[in-house]
Parts: sequence; structure tokens; C-alpha cells
Amino acid sequence: MPTIDPPHSTAPLATGRLLRRRHHRLVSPGQVGFGLINYALFGLFALLCAYPFYYLIINSLSANDLSALGQVRLWPQGLHWDNYAEIFQLRGLSLAAVVSVLRTVIGTAATVLASAFLGFMFTQEKMWHRKLWYRLMIFTMYFNAGLIPMFITMKNLHLTNSFWVYILPAIVQPFNIILVKTYIESMPASLQEAAEVDGASTLQIFFRVILPNTTPILATVAIFSAVGQWNSFQDTLIYITDQKLYSLQYILYTYINQASSLAEAAQQAGGNLASVASAATKQTATSVRMTVAVVVVAPIIFVYPIFQRFFVKGIMLGAVKG
Amino acid sequence: MVKAQRPSAAKRRESLRLFLYIVPFLALIFLFSYFPLYGWIYSFFDYKPALGLARSEFVGLQWFRLLVYSPAQLTQILQVLANTLGMSFIGIATSILPVAFALFLNEIKAKPFKNLIQTLTTLPNFISWVLVYMIAFSIFSSTGLVNSALSDWGFISTPIKFLDSDSYTWLKMAAWGVWKGVGWGAIMYLAAIASIDPTLYESARVDGAKRFQIMRHITLPHLIPTYLVLLMLSVANLLNNGMEQYYVFKNAFNLEHIQVLDLYVFTIGIGGGSLSMATVISMLKSIISVALLVAVNWLSRRLRGSSII
Amino acid sequence: MKLKNLAVLFTAGALAVSLAACSKNQPEGEGSSGSDGKYADPITIDVFDGLANFMGIKEGWFAKIVKDKFNMEMNIIAPNVAGQGDTLYNTRVAGGDLGDLVIMDKGQQLDELVEGGLLMDLSNDYADMTYANEFDAAVDKLNASYDGIYGLPTSVSHLKPTEPSEGEDPTFGPFLRWDYYAELGYPEIATLEDLLPILADMQAAHPTGDNGQPAYALSFFKDWDGNMMNNAKQPTCFYGYDELGFVLAKADGSDYQSIIDSDSEYVRTLKFFQKAQEMGLVDPESSTQNYDTLFTKYQNGQVLFSFWPWLGQSAYNTTEHLAQGKGFEIAPLEDMTVFSYGAEVYGGKQFIGIGSQAEDPERIADFIDWLYSPEGTNDSGSDTMSAPGPEGLTWEEGTDGPVLTDFGKKALLGSEAEVAAEWGGGIYEDGVSPLNVPVVLAIDENPETNYPYKYTFWPSYQAENTNPLLTDWQSQMGDVATTMDYLKAQDQLMVAPGASFVAPADSAEIETVRNQVKAQIVSYSWQMVFAPDQAGFDSLLTQMQSTVDGLGYQTVLEWDMANAKDQNAQRQAVAKEFG
Repeated sequence: MPTIDPPHSTAPLATGRLLRRRHHRLVSPGQVGFGLINYALFGLFALLCAYPFYYLIINSLSANDLSALGQVRLWPQGLHWDNYAEIFQLRGLSLAAVVSVLRTVIGTAATVLASAFLGFMFTQEKMWHRKLWYRLMIFTMYFNAGLIPMFITMKNLHLTNSFWVYILPAIVQPFNIILVKTYIESMPASLQEAAEVDGASTLQIFFRVILPNTTPILATVAIFSAVGQWNSFQDTLIYITDQKLYSLQYILYTYINQASSLAEAAQQAGGNLASVASAATKQTATSVRMTVAVVVVAPIIFVYPIFQRFFVKGIMLGAVKG
Repeated sequence: MVKAQRPSAAKRRESLRLFLYIVPFLALIFLFSYFPLYGWIYSFFDYKPALGLARSEFVGLQWFRLLVYSPAQLTQILQVLANTLGMSFIGIATSILPVAFALFLNEIKAKPFKNLIQTLTTLPNFISWVLVYMIAFSIFSSTGLVNSALSDWGFISTPIKFLDSDSYTWLKMAAWGVWKGVGWGAIMYLAAIASIDPTLYESARVDGAKRFQIMRHITLPHLIPTYLVLLMLSVANLLNNGMEQYYVFKNAFNLEHIQVLDLYVFTIGIGGGSLSMATVISMLKSIISVALLVAVNWLSRRLRGSSII
Repeated sequence: MKLKNLAVLFTAGALAVSLAACSKNQPEGEGSSGSDGKYADPITIDVFDGLANFMGIKEGWFAKIVKDKFNMEMNIIAPNVAGQGDTLYNTRVAGGDLGDLVIMDKGQQLDELVEGGLLMDLSNDYADMTYANEFDAAVDKLNASYDGIYGLPTSVSHLKPTEPSEGEDPTFGPFLRWDYYAELGYPEIATLEDLLPILADMQAAHPTGDNGQPAYALSFFKDWDGNMMNNAKQPTCFYGYDELGFVLAKADGSDYQSIIDSDSEYVRTLKFFQKAQEMGLVDPESSTQNYDTLFTKYQNGQVLFSFWPWLGQSAYNTTEHLAQGKGFEIAPLEDMTVFSYGAEVYGGKQFIGIGSQAEDPERIADFIDWLYSPEGTNDSGSDTMSAPGPEGLTWEEGTDGPVLTDFGKKALLGSEAEVAAEWGGGIYEDGVSPLNVPVVLAIDENPETNYPYKYTFWPSYQAENTNPLLTDWQSQMGDVATTMDYLKAQDQLMVAPGASFVAPADSAEIETVRNQVKAQIVSYSWQMVFAPDQAGFDSLLTQMQSTVDGLGYQTVLEWDMANAKDQNAQRQAVAKEFG
């Protein structure tokens, strides 16, 4: 059972300094004041962050001609549900939701596992040309080959009109791998060493030591990847013409574009005067955009707290197990 | 490290064995990232997808020359570069904020409140810039929330031009960026905090350490490695500010100071649809980014004694 | 024999029922396979349509007509809906297959597609067509430089190129809130600048819109800015000019202006805007708002002037407002000669073609031919083009020309009309043709009724559709029926003969210079409009002129000027040949 060394370099220095000041008491009036200010500042900032989303909600529920003027700010005016009703009537929405959930779940699982594994492997200094591979991978973060070569590559790999175009290119994500690698490097080396002494293989170490001890950063990677998968529509746009594989985001994205191009076309072509009469409930590009934003972000808000749980279970749990 | 010794066969096998584990992933990297780079060749052609490369005209360095064809354009490009670098450096300076955010959020002990704050502050990240601008318009336009409130209370007689003036453009853009990104960016640091051994805190408290000392000497040092890596990655991104934010906020009055490289490139070339020009730009930017990355890494090795990547 | 026929009928019927059962919202029709039994096997074709505002397979009455006639479904691929410029087009052509049916721009795009082998030679199919051949001249012209027939023209008609293509209203015109103008006693307006005091009076009398928010005479938006500030170009069209790059060319070829010249019509408009701004007539949110916001302001009566009938009128002239005598109508400037686009003899901007990978080109060609037929024109000209829809459903032949049926009135003039199941079901508006391409112009005459396709031209429609606003306007204008009639009567219309001119694509160099220059012109133009005074305006103008000259304005101008002159030469030629 390995004991936990404090992370090298920082802790000894810290405790050294702390020792010198042990006569200070824990809770002082200054501490209470700090706590209050801290709560207040965070509360205020959270309001600033939450308000725009609230703004989108009340505006998507308000009469569309009022909201286009930007005059709906505190509560809905001219409450109506047409914007949402319209979205839930979109063809193929439920299938697209299934596709989106699938790509999010499978894609995230694949990315998290691959990031954990590669993050771990890139800490193995014994690996043949480790730094070279690591750097070659990082460089790809800055590469942009352009859409056409990407399209032709995918076509040659028979990935166009295939579900796997959502998953395969997303598996290796340098940014996430860097995060995991940095995290593992800050963990006590004794963890792995002890397992090695016990005769564990590389894979055993990965599954028994690394995975359980990196949950906070893997949760982070999962959030990044899940949000990325959930919000992605560009890949559908370019690689998919089969309607069975449309993602939710793509349908909503085309719905937005359709609303704006229809509005423009109708007006430029002379307009059907009568159809403009019901301005309050008629969808505008703006109302559509806001409603879609709410529909897309709402699931994220509900799922996010589940990931937050992993932020507090970290190395302690692993250490007890190890 | 035992450099002097000749690596034994066993060691060699071990090092190859470790390498084999990552080969499948290297294959993916090659397929999806390196192989498509053959498209960079379009920079030397007047590439028309309908005709294919074979029938497209070879133009040599024409596109590169067009980037700098006249003195008037040079002054424009200099301004654009100043904007780009200016805003990038402000962005790098503010990249410490997510660290501070995580550091101080960690001091909030009421769990439900902490989780609520954490969730709410990530919300702006999910709102597209187009919508952010709409909200900004609602609040800051001449009949917007702020101006109406100020004039109702008698502070101003003519509306303040928040959106259509060129004062503090860089800072305004940075403020929007911070607002949108700080909660989201803090997630990584919150994860790093979760990795800290709780016994460290306990022993520090037993030692009588004050809250700030614990933050300063235990929490913060754990965030630094991640911060440094991200810092380096963002230095390599100096030229890539993205364009969406600047595109939605730009107008005739702030154009001079809001035009960053990505927006400028969009305005002069890609809006018009020249694929080859777009390729030239993205190729140059890729190369510059990688060069910057290598340079920073080298610098770090010289200064800190260890490279970051 | 009879028994056998019955059996066939029965199985066909059963098949139809089972097919209908498979696909929801597909009620039992006259039979699901081709009406003449020509097409037994159903196909779904990919349609790459540069004009479509819909993506996917559409259901409803139009889809049912196509299904019944051709046993065909259309999967629409719409770059408009996909967004991101040419992304979709570029990747698809790079992959070698754009679509089975292609509706894209002629000129450079068509050239490219033909050269790249992405389109099929239709020579044989064309010979078999019945309706498209009527427009032989346009077809020949479109394919003159190719070895074969690769594209068929759109927006064709039998109209002369010297006749306006627009219908009752021109594209441009000084439209203002007629009810407010009436309150002032219909003051005469000698020229553009004379609008200022009138607009000032209107705004002073009505400082807020219907919603209590401030109203302004003028409100602008930047969304459509291109070679210049889009809004500032519009009043130049009141005087017969239209833009071609950085050139303002007069419809009759009598004048060409460089937009940045101090005495150009464009700068005149900017000055006009600046004066208005100094007088407090310009919405201060102009430079920061988008089109949606502006449109809503029009809907709420917060804007009093419109450069286009289709903005002010479509936003504000609702049935309700018209009944109250409120709305936008044209208030003529005495010296104006409004620019009008003549009917394009060689067709509009788009062509129709068949992709080289198409599986059943004969059937698609058959479908294309049908689009040129009277039936196809009625059915496929979508509601925004005011084509009436299928005969028997929305309209029928009356004693005095065609009349809208009750259903037609509800569907075309009201909203949300439920289509009967035998016609395909669904809401009428949702079922219109997704192609959104005018193949034959709706203002052309339908040879079967001898009236234009467009229902707003029918006597029956015009007799029924009147309102206090229109009556008041008509009585002031000398009892003319429409704006166009008035302009023609006053000789205030300048028709640019429709020569189907397509300017050659900019070279890479021209394009790069142009994009830089236009960004500066647009930016300076806005600043000039919001300049505090005449002096500020003048100094910005000088700055703009020297900045863009430094960026290479003259090079682009020369190129545009040459194109403008070509355009005029072609206009003169068609006017001579067909006019």
C-alpha cells in the first residue's frame, strides 16, 4: 500500500513557511469578511452570467415583434409558446436527438478513454521517441488543412454518410491529452512505482491505478468532449446527406438558416402581405435563434451537475483503494 | 537517467513495446491530421474544386504576393497585426483569471452554492456570439437598458455610445471574452484542485496556517503546471483570435481597432470565395503557430531548465 | 380482357393504398405511380438548388403533384440553408457529384461545372421537350460557348426586354407613410433633398411609433453592405442608376459615375443622409442594429420612409392597417426616373441542369420540361412569386378571366389553409415548391387563360382588393391602378433592357483589391452619414478618396467601368433585336 508523497518541490517549502506561523488562529474577523466578500462577488458574477440565458428564455417566450426590438428584459411580454411548438414539430427531430445522444455518449466515452490512455502513455519516459510523438500530436492542434482535403480524405475512407465520421476523428484530442498528462505528472510517482514493484503490467497500471485516480480531470475531459459532440453540426453539414444520420444540432442549425433566408426571400420577392399580419407569433430569425439556444443549452445544464460530483472525489479515493 | 550505458536488449524491447501501444492512435493522427495537409498544395494553384487540381491553373506565389501588394495595404496590415497582437496579449494577461476564479471558488464551503455558481458561470460559454451581440444590443444600444436607465435618472442627456464608438475597443472585447470564458476555463483548474491530497490541508491547518497561506502555498502551486502549459498553447495561438466575436461587434466606427487578422482575412479573401487564398492564410498561420510553440518551449528550457512539451 | 384490366386496376389500387399506408401524410390519390404509367419505379433525386430555402424532402401538395406525374421525390440540398458560403458547393463538386438536378448560377459557375464534367449534355433530351423549346433563343444564348446543351435558362418570359419585369411596384422608390404625408396636405416634392422638411414635419407630428418607442424618418441597417453602403445606393435608383461594382450606371447608358466622386449620386445620397442625421431624422441605432430589428421597427410604425416597397409595405401595410388607411405608398419626386429591371430575354441569373451522375436523366428532363409548361408555372412558382398554384385548388376559370377560389383566397391571402387530402394534405403554404426558382416569370401571360399567371394582375383580384389607403393614393395620383401604371403614365420609369448580362468574374487581384477597398468605402460612408456637420462630412470624404485610391481603387474602377459599358452595349443590342 503506497503512501502518498506530497507533490515534490511545493509542499515542503509550504509547510516550512507555515510552521513558522503556527501561532495564528484559524478564524479571524478578517477571514469572515473575506468569506462574505467572496460569496458576494461570486454571487454577483453568477448573476451576470445567468442573466443572458434568462434573457434568451424570456425573449423566446415573448411576442416576437417585441423581442426583436430588444425591449424584453425582465419578464416575458406577450407570452406564447409558438416558438417552441414550432421547433418540436420539425421533421426528424426525435431521430436526430437519438443520433446526437449516441454520438455524445459513444464519442465522449472514446475520447475520455483515449485521452486517459495517451495521457498516461506519454508520461512513460521509457517509450521509444516519446517526445517526438507527443510533439507531433500537439502540432496538429494548430493545423488546418481546409475542408476540401478533409472531405476527400473522409470520402476515400468511406466515412461520408457514416456514423463513425462523428467518432473516429474525435478520438485523439491533443488538448485533452495534454490536460491528462499534466495531471498525471502532478500525481505522486510512487503510485505507479509501487504497482510496478508488485509486477503489474502497463495496462494493469492504467486500469487499476491511473483511471481511478484521475477522475476529476477525466470528468473535465468528458465535459469538454460531450459539449463538443453535442454542439457539433459542421461535420454533419459536410459529410452527411443521409437524413437518418442528421444530428440534432444540424437540424436546428438549418432551421435557423432557413428562417433567416426565408424571411429575406419573402421580403425581397415582394412579400405576401397577409402572412405578415401575425407578427407577434411569426418566427423571425432572431426568435428562432434564441429558442434554439435555449433548447440546446438546457440539456447541458441538467447533465453538468452529474459531472461536478467527480470533481471532489479524487486522489483520496484512489489512495485508499491503492 | 543512465545515459552512459548501452541500452540492453530488454530495455529496447520495453521501449518499443510501449511505443506499440500508441501506434493505433498515431495512425488516427496521421489519417485525420497529417494526411489532409496535402491540400496545402492548393496555395500554389488557382484551385477550382469543379475542375480538380489537374485542370486548375498553377500560379506560383501569386497569392503570397497579393497579401502585400501596396503600401496602403501594408499600413492596413500593420494596424491589423497591432489589433491582433494587442488583443491576444490582453487575452493572455487575462488567462490568469480562470486560475483565480478556481482558487477563490474553492474557498466557498457551502457545496450547493458552489455548484450553483459553477454551473451558472459556464452558461455564457454556450451562448453564440451572435446572440451575445443581440443581448449586448438590448442592453447597450442608444435605447438600451443602460442608456434608458441613465437618462431616466438624469445622469446623461444624450445616449452613451457603447457599441458604435472606437474608445477602448480592445478592452471592451477582452471584457466580453472574459465574461464568456472565465467560468468555463476554470473547470480544468477546479479539476486540478480536486487532485490535491486533503491531508496536506489538514496538516497545514493543524500547523495553524491561515486561509490565504493555504491558498498561496498549497492550492495555487497545484494549478501552476496546467496554467503554464495552457499559457504556452495560447502564445502559439497569438495570431488566432477567431473572428466571430469581432465580426458581430464590428461596425463602421470601431472597424479600425476591432479588425483582427482572422476578420481581415475573412473580409479580403474568403468572403469572396478564393479557396487558394484561404489555404495560403491557414498554412501560414499553422506554420507560425508551430514555430511559436517550438520557440516558447525552447525558451522555457533555457529559463526554467525544463521544456513544457 | 376486361377482367384482366380490372385485376390490374385492383392491384394498382391496392399498391397505392399500401404505399399510402407506408408513408404518413400521403393520402390516397389518383394513383401513386406516374399519371401516364411512364414511370413505374419510384426514385428519389438529389436536387442541389442555390435558391432553395428548404433542406430535405418536402411533403404536401406540390410534392404530390411531382410524385403523381413523375413518381419522383426530391431531396433538396440547399446551400442557403447550409450556410457558410460556398462550403457545400465546393466539397460536393470536389467529390465529383453535385446532385441529380442542379439549379445554380450561370456564368463562372456554369462554365466550371461544364468544364469539370459535372453536368450532363442535354442535347437529346432537349430535342424531345415541348415547353422549354419555346425559349430557344435563351437556351442557345446560354449554351453558346459549349459543345452541347448543359443548362436551361430560368426567369424566362415572352415579355419584351424593354418592359419592366417587376409587376405592380418597381423594386425601388420613395415610399413613405402616406397617412402622415396626407396630414401635411400632400406637399409637392421637387427633388430628393426636398424630402427633408417633409420628413421632419412627419416625424415632429408623430415622434413615436405604435408601440410608444421613438420613431425616425430614416433607419438604416448594415447587413447588406457590399461595394458600398447598401442603403445609400437606393436613392440613386430613384434617378435611374444601378450599381455595377464601384460604378453607378444609368439604365439608358447615358451616364456612368464613379461612386466616390464628390459629385456622384452616391455621395449626394450620403450628404442627404447626413443632413437628415443633423436634423435628428436618422435612427441613432442604425449602425448597430440588424435587419430583423429594423423590420420590426417598420412593423411597429417606428420608421416613416422606405427605399423599397417590399420593406415598408410588407412590414406595415397589413390588412388591419390598410383598413384604417395607414401604410406606405410612393410619394413621387418630380425629377425622378425610377430604375426598373427589364424582362430578361435570355433568362435570369440561374440555370437548370442535370448532374452527370444522375441515374434517370430522361425522367428528370421530363420534369424540367414540365416546369416550363403553364401547369408547371402555376404550380412551381412559389407563393412569394405570386403564382396562383394548381388550377382547381386555388383558382379556376371565371367568366372574366381567372378567379381565386375561396380556398385560394384563404391560402394565398389569409394564412394556414388546410389542403384537402386528395390534393396532398398539410398546410398550403408549407406545401409550396421547395425549388423556389422562377422558371417562367409569373408576370408572363398564361396562354391558357390569356392573363398573367400572377394573380394580383387578374381583374377579379384587383376589383376585390381595395382599401382606404389605396383609394386615397389613387385619387391623388390621377386614378391610376398601381405604382407602375403611375410611373409609366408620368414617364418616370427608366427600364434597363433585360440583356441577362453577367459580369465576368473578378481576377484574383481585382477581387483582393476590391474587398479591401469596399470595406473602407462602407466604413467611411457610415461615418460620413453620422458626421456632426458639413465640414466633418467633407473631410471624411477627402480621406476616403485618398485612402481607397492608395489601395488601388482606380484599377477596380476601370474594370467595373468596362463591364458597365459592356452591359450597356448588350442592353442596347437586345432592345434593338427584341424591343
